[in-house]
Amino acid sequence: MTNKKILYKPVDPEIEKLAQLHGGTHEAALEVLKDLSADHKLNQTTITETARVLHLPAHAVHGLATFYSMLSLEERKKVLRVCDGPVCWLKRASFQSSVISGQSSVIGEWEKQMPDYTVERTSCLGLCDRVPAILVEDEQAGPVEIQDANKVCEGWRGVTTDYSKPRKGEVRVMIALIGKIDPDSIDDALSHGIYDGLKKALQSEPTVVLAEVESSGLQGRGGAGFPVGRKWRFVASEMKTPRYIICNADESEPLIFKDRVLMDTNPHQLLEGMIVAGYICGASEAWIYIRGEYEGQARRLERAIELAEAKNFLGENILESGFSFKIHVHRGAGAYICGEETALIESLEGKRGEPRLRPPYPPTYGFRGQPTAVNNVESFCAVPHIVKNGAEWWRSLTDDPTPGTKVYMVLGHVKNPGLFEAPFGLTLRQIINDFGSGMMKGSTFNFALCGGAAGTIVDDSLLDIPIDFASSQKGISLGAGAFLICDQTVSPIAVLRELLHFFTVESCGKCTPCRVGTWRSLEILNRMVSGQGRQGDTDELKTLAALMQDTSFCGLGQSVAIPMKSVLTHFGTEFAKAEKQLVIASPKGEAIS
Amino acid sequence: MVNIKINGQSIQVVSGKTILQAAHAHDIEIPTLCYHKDLNPTGNCRMCMVEVEGGKFLQAACVTPVWEGMDIRTHSEKVAKDRKMTLELMLANHPQDCITCDVSGECELQDLAYEYKASAPEWGSKGTRYPVDSDPNPFIRVDMNRCILCRRCISACAEIQVRDVWGVAKRGFDEVIVAGAGTTLLEARCESCGQCVAYCPTGALSNKMNYGMARAHQVKKVTTTCSYCGVGCQFDLLVKNDKIIGVQSNPNAPANGMALCVKGRYGYDYVHHPERLTKPRARRYLLEGKDKNDIRDSIRDTRKSNTELSNIESPWDWVETEWDIALDIVAKKFIEIRNNFGADSLGFLTSAKCTNEENYLMNKLARQVVGTNNIDHCARL
Repeated sequence: MTNKKILYKPVDPEIEKLAQLHGGTHEAALEVLKDLSADHKLNQTTITETARVLHLPAHAVHGLATFYSMLSLEERKKVLRVCDGPVCWLKRASFQSSVISGQSSVIGEWEKQMPDYTVERTSCLGLCDRVPAILVEDEQAGPVEIQDANKVCEGWRGVTTDYSKPRKGEVRVMIALIGKIDPDSIDDALSHGIYDGLKKALQSEPTVVLAEVESSGLQGRGGAGFPVGRKWRFVASEMKTPRYIICNADESEPLIFKDRVLMDTNPHQLLEGMIVAGYICGASEAWIYIRGEYEGQARRLERAIELAEAKNFLGENILESGFSFKIHVHRGAGAYICGEETALIESLEGKRGEPRLRPPYPPTYGFRGQPTAVNNVESFCAVPHIVKNGAEWWRSLTDDPTPGTKVYMVLGHVKNPGLFEAPFGLTLRQIINDFGSGMMKGSTFNFALCGGAAGTIVDDSLLDIPIDFASSQKGISLGAGAFLICDQTVSPIAVLRELLHFFTVESCGKCTPCRVGTWRSLEILNRMVSGQGRQGDTDELKTLAALMQDTSFCGLGQSVAIPMKSVLTHFGTEFAKAEKQLVIASPKGEAIS
Repeated sequence: MVNIKINGQSIQVVSGKTILQAAHAHDIEIPTLCYHKDLNPTGNCRMCMVEVEGGKFLQAACVTPVWEGMDIRTHSEKVAKDRKMTLELMLANHPQDCITCDVSGECELQDLAYEYKASAPEWGSKGTRYPVDSDPNPFIRVDMNRCILCRRCISACAEIQVRDVWGVAKRGFDEVIVAGAGTTLLEARCESCGQCVAYCPTGALSNKMNYGMARAHQVKKVTTTCSYCGVGCQFDLLVKNDKIIGVQSNPNAPANGMALCVKGRYGYDYVHHPERLTKPRARRYLLEGKDKNDIRDSIRDTRKSNTELSNIESPWDWVETEWDIALDIVAKKFIEIRNNFGADSLGFLTSAKCTNEENYLMNKLARQVVGTNNIDHCARL
């Protein structure tokens, strides 16, 4: 028998206070842990005490503390997070000695330069237009090289990208007001017509507004393209109340940063879209689940909510319409999987961000078991414009079968990387030449990663296919609208290795194929890029991709196969070379002849 | 009712049932690891994946409800290939120690690996990531190297014992099952019922008391009723060479199913204890028909500590005897007391270790035979 005695002592009053501050229910667990972690007080004792205060089993709170990457039980100083995303990697690759030891050597350099900080790697920070990017405590910084360390210590945070001038050929709807308004001023927003859509919507019955959204053909902008109107009809037709609206702002996929820009430059547009959604669905409350790394954006949204409440666009009896609505901002704590809607709901409920069994789907059984609409930031941002200008107008913006415009991101070896808005149906050639101003000097197109980390890797044979949600059938995906263009110096195997590294780190671990499959794939790719490929590696990668796609529990595991399968199709010969160890240990993967 | 087809066989199923339930009802075998009929299905392990006509992905049979017209193939080539691969992913990080593992022979992972001819790939950690026998709990042996993260232990602890000791920590490949906030089991409020051991499909959780004493095929299982209390839990005694070496849950036990408490599951070592009383004993003077007054001056307690006197017979000695003789003595004494002092000078105290029926009979004896209402039960104290 153990001689340890379990001592029942009263809980630290500070933890009790924290728990009450965050609502005192089990949903407060993550918030309490984040506060404890920020004060460097996260340890076994405080975890157990938090569990006692919130009436949770200790393992549930410990499971949280070890699940989210921003929480740590280890002693930390101030935290500096170095982005480990593929775009930052591509930028840094020039001075890396090797792909595998690469990022750790970057971390070592930062540690040397900034001894007051604990330096950690982190998955993509969503600052792909400011690479290489870092997160200093909760402040985003980029582009920041190691030689800028002194400036960073003094408070310099790089420069933000200016998108106020549209590129040639852009059709701006959702980002029309970038740079034209002060995002923190509601008067500015009002003078540019924000909340006009809401005013118009409140004058009609919810069913009429819903019909307008449905006939606009607006498809979800998170990547799957599910019709927004149909989802809201499911929620609105549920008998159960209360119903909830959730905005998925957990933008954690490498290459994607559009939601950050949308929230940063025009927060009221998002709020307006959410209020309209609430009106349509008969919902009473909404949450914006924003990734923990977007602290600045979260604060901006909180300010915007206060301002909107003061003007009665939010709160009780909005504009005398009898409709009441509240919006809360909830910060994540570092987990890509929480972008999966059921995992997001679990996380919002104060649990580990593991996906739920489906069915039931969130419109029937969502947050707190109630009917819930979960939509992407960009989807909400499109709604006020549709309500204001009509479904006809939205459809008239493009000839492509997918109506409306989309915010795109073009990155990598193009002259003018960044964000732009245009109708659906662009080809990759148009994206590179018309919007990205062509390839960089000395660069020729080698391949592109299309959609996001879980997108397709394509060669030049697919340059002229119009891209929309349906084009993935033809081998080129739209996803969330990001395109990483790589030139002849970049090895597709090395890029795939970066992606698998991301998926391995971010897999929640619930199901076997994703948990072990990503890890094994990464192990193979690590060998291949460092010149230790073996006969049979390619076949094993193919088998693993098929297994993960067929049998994974959720979209994360299933979509790992998309880049794997596409790159194996287009660059089979590269893999064959790597199997024969013809690739040297270079991040750029030049072949030895 | 919905009409479905499994492997070409048309079946009618109550709507809302899962594919697995439909298959089981018609004796169609689908392999499972994380699923157990007593626990809420989680769909973690992905062993029960089946092919559904027209589906983009395979479906997990344990959690997918049937729908009208569903056409299911449980053992197609693709399904078998994926199951084999999934098993290989598990085996890659599982120690290759079946040869010395305690549960070899009744390990669900081993059985499936055998069925699908899955062998451990040359890569993987092979079970070197965690300390072996890592928890000081006196009954439960923990070896997380053998864990396949099916989470049945978590469900068993939460749903059956409602104790919520086990949980999952970290994520992805580093994911691991821990007790409480990463503490020992007892610190995490474990009451050592061993439910988690009973539901563990591998040797990750096993019984410490009989670890290494015998494997499944070396023991005889004897179904019996627990002697500790009146609930009447049933379980199987594991008997080797006529010795009880352990207790195992019997899934068909009517009162308790797989559930047992710490006493039922681990309190069996009294059976072969050398000091256990197996026959009635009576004081020597009673067997010799003497009265207490006759032996008042005989040597009594001091005798034991005195080696010289320890071999001398004393009328106070406890002497083994037959049941009839012992009961005759008791009956005679009872009658004497009742006749001399009245029935209410007697009292009866029964035990929670007796069955309901035994307690009932004792009540009859007290009230009808002896004629007193002085009867009580230890559980009321």
